[in-house]
Amino acid sequence: MLVRYIAKRLGLGILQLIGLVIGVFFIIRLLPADPVARLVGMNASPQAYAQAAHQLGLDRPLLTQLAIYLGFEPSVQPGLLQGSLGASWVTDSLVMSEIAQYLPVTITLVTLSFLLVLIVAVPIGMLGALNPGGRTDKGVFIYSLFAGSQPEFWWGLLFVYIFFFRLGIAPAPLGSLSPMTDPPAPITGFLLIDSLLEGQWSVFVEALDHLMLPVVTLAFVLSGPIIKMVRQNMLRALRSDFVLYADCVGLPRDIIARYALRAAMAPSMTLIGILYGFMLGGAVLVENVFSLGGIGQYAVRAVLAFDYPVIQGVVLVITAISLLVYLALDLFHAAIDPRIIV
Amino acid sequence: MPSSGKFLAAATAAFLAFTSLPASAAQILVLSEDVPAGLDSDGPSAAIPTSQSGMVNMLEPLVGYAAASVKEDGVIMPDFSKPVGLLAESWTYDPAALTWTFKLREGVKGCTGDTFTSADVIYTFARAKSVSGAAPIGWFLSNVASIKGFTTDVFGKDSKAKELGDGIVALDDYTVQIKQSQPNALLLPVLAIFGLQIFDKKIMEAHATAQDPWSHDYGNTVNAPGFGSYCLDSWQKGQSISYKANTNYYRGKPAIDKVVVRRVPESSNRVAVLRTGQAQLVTGLTPKEFDSLRSIAGITVEGVTGNQNLFEHMNFKSPPFDNPKVREAVSHAIPYDQIIATGYFGQATIWQGFVPSGYPGYVPSAKDFIYDPAKAKALLAEAGFPDGKGLEKFVDNLQLSYVSEKESTLGPIVNILQSSFRAIGIPVTLNPIPGTQYGDRQLVKGDLPFAVNDQEEPIGVDVGYAVQLFFVTKDKGGLYNMVNYSNSKVDDLWTKARVEPDANVRNQLLAEIQDQLAADVAWAPIVEYKTQWAMSSKLTGLRWYADNSIRFFDLTLR
Repeated sequence: MLVRYIAKRLGLGILQLIGLVIGVFFIIRLLPADPVARLVGMNASPQAYAQAAHQLGLDRPLLTQLAIYLGFEPSVQPGLLQGSLGASWVTDSLVMSEIAQYLPVTITLVTLSFLLVLIVAVPIGMLGALNPGGRTDKGVFIYSLFAGSQPEFWWGLLFVYIFFFRLGIAPAPLGSLSPMTDPPAPITGFLLIDSLLEGQWSVFVEALDHLMLPVVTLAFVLSGPIIKMVRQNMLRALRSDFVLYADCVGLPRDIIARYALRAAMAPSMTLIGILYGFMLGGAVLVENVFSLGGIGQYAVRAVLAFDYPVIQGVVLVITAISLLVYLALDLFHAAIDPRIIV
Repeated sequence: MPSSGKFLAAATAAFLAFTSLPASAAQILVLSEDVPAGLDSDGPSAAIPTSQSGMVNMLEPLVGYAAASVKEDGVIMPDFSKPVGLLAESWTYDPAALTWTFKLREGVKGCTGDTFTSADVIYTFARAKSVSGAAPIGWFLSNVASIKGFTTDVFGKDSKAKELGDGIVALDDYTVQIKQSQPNALLLPVLAIFGLQIFDKKIMEAHATAQDPWSHDYGNTVNAPGFGSYCLDSWQKGQSISYKANTNYYRGKPAIDKVVVRRVPESSNRVAVLRTGQAQLVTGLTPKEFDSLRSIAGITVEGVTGNQNLFEHMNFKSPPFDNPKVREAVSHAIPYDQIIATGYFGQATIWQGFVPSGYPGYVPSAKDFIYDPAKAKALLAEAGFPDGKGLEKFVDNLQLSYVSEKESTLGPIVNILQSSFRAIGIPVTLNPIPGTQYGDRQLVKGDLPFAVNDQEEPIGVDVGYAVQLFFVTKDKGGLYNMVNYSNSKVDDLWTKARVEPDANVRNQLLAEIQDQLAADVAWAPIVEYKTQWAMSSKLTGLRWYADNSIRFFDLTLR
């Protein structure tokens, strides 16, 4: 049953991706500018323009371009069917290898932030819900309002000012490692993992140190809505019949809280999963403030430069990850509530 | 087994000793808005200044300019009237045969120890003429300088036209001859530009493939091997690049052994890190940030009036800007002093011309571009729009466009302009658009009606070159002409100036062109703003180049 469910979901996911690839291919070509202009900056003669358009393959008919991108013309250049996302029009590097460079940075940042949020937000949200209207609850309300009400880049800049510039306890916002440190040779692309695999303990510690402030910034901003949501869901669960019943039959409070948490987690996890997928592209402001070369920055630069292969590649990869996260969430749901699969 | 382990340890230690720098070695950290996206001068990112900054530190041109006797604000300025040999030691010119004979420097070595010879020069020009890169900049510069054979034929079907031919020939290992198809004063200026810096043929050819015989992929993604003062140490696009000194460099080993350039997109963070002393040099700050650093102990802010400027772009094909009175009215509605004070914190001067004032042959306009709202109103009335009446039908064309990525610098300026234009009755709205879209509309479509532009820096130091870029009619040889300006007098004068061998006569022709541009208000020049850098006070020796990139070779760390 479960295997069939997963297979069905994956099949559906692939269909969604195919639709998306074709959709994005046409939509970005509706953007109000021509990517060739950027290339010929110094030299806009018609001949040079034609030459640049030819180099990018933009002089071919649109459907031919699509066929090449999808990989139906491997003699021209490898496409999606051959596992290639093409080369960036700005850097001439393979989009696949650039994504492999940028994506791990964002995944690390976002995953650590969500872990921190879960560690902090779930107990706080629960506490608030267990004593609605109490002092803790009011404190939680004010905190979540405060944390969620300012944009993350503002908090990031403020944290940089306080913890790096004023107090000197955080490292300079110069990326994942100090500029003078040699990064470990990429194995997985994840700095934290690679440094451990290669036994470079000091690099691992340095990377964690550099991640501290961005993770705290992102977690701080994300914790606002998540605490509120956990609190709401928990409150609803606490008022549900089965909890009232459990209370009436005299079950201990901690067991009741556990029951309620289980019921409250399902909807909370859905939102957290959606937020996670969203943050893969949406952490760009935090990446920017801390000079972390992540996928969000990469995507924004691609859009500003009208770098079609990169835009297409990033959308495809992020969507694929989001689909996998949703699938994992559904499986998690199913584990809590097996009725879902039927 | 133990012996192989020992051997490995010894080899590692030897390798580390070889690659790591001695403790006393000077190194600096530079924070920049970006690091090179590519290092191929004919590559897709070659038009991006941060990419050029990598090329100019690793490759060397044939010629450059001598230093002027007077520094500006502590920065060494070039004397554009004195070209000097770099990879070329000297040259002679035979006007009858239109032939330049360059004697190349001997004993010049690249990063891997390859010796520079005429074969490298021939390779570089043959590569340029192959127009095999994404943006044929080498061909373009050669074409602008009338080097024989570098015509638009290279873009045709005939593969012969893409071969070097006899326009550039090597007479021996250290002598190269360049022929021109007509007299053209631009040869030496273009040879000083990054797009014609010389590649190390041996390394480039070693990385050629059947699909990419001119090693563009290698240049775009791996390295730019040449004979410059620095060699590539490591490069992670979008993150950082580091250079190590070329110990073989012919002008002497650079004083700074290692330069690490790190991308820090948030300019306020570049400021903060510089202030803590962890970085030694930062670029690309806003005028306000430069100003805030001026009073900080241990930090020096230096700036020069080089070739950066701000002007009002008015499209001759977009009414009401086809009306000369309207253009003139706009020029008198610009509060120049307020823009200098608020937009540039005093680090700018009113621009009274159409080419950078430091370029030889620059002539300040006889027509004064001054702020005079009463005159602007009168001119607007003369144009048929008293108090702006009648302009409402041009609302689309009265959107003042600017590059949205430059909001922090241009935002305050466009707001001043908008209020000032509205005060005389021109209903201007603001229209920030992404840089690529701006470039596309400006350069390719030519349909940007009204804009402020602060990014035109003629990299070829010559008035004729700047006029060809911006003001000559496109079918008469003009290149950008983003305002669709067309005046047959200017075209004729430029055609004459292009082939005029006598420098004085040529300057006279170019002066006449500049007068005509002012009379036509071809655009409304606003200010020349200073190109600024902020650095540790321990860093000295900064020198300005027309491409606005720093050569780390010039710097010394006290």
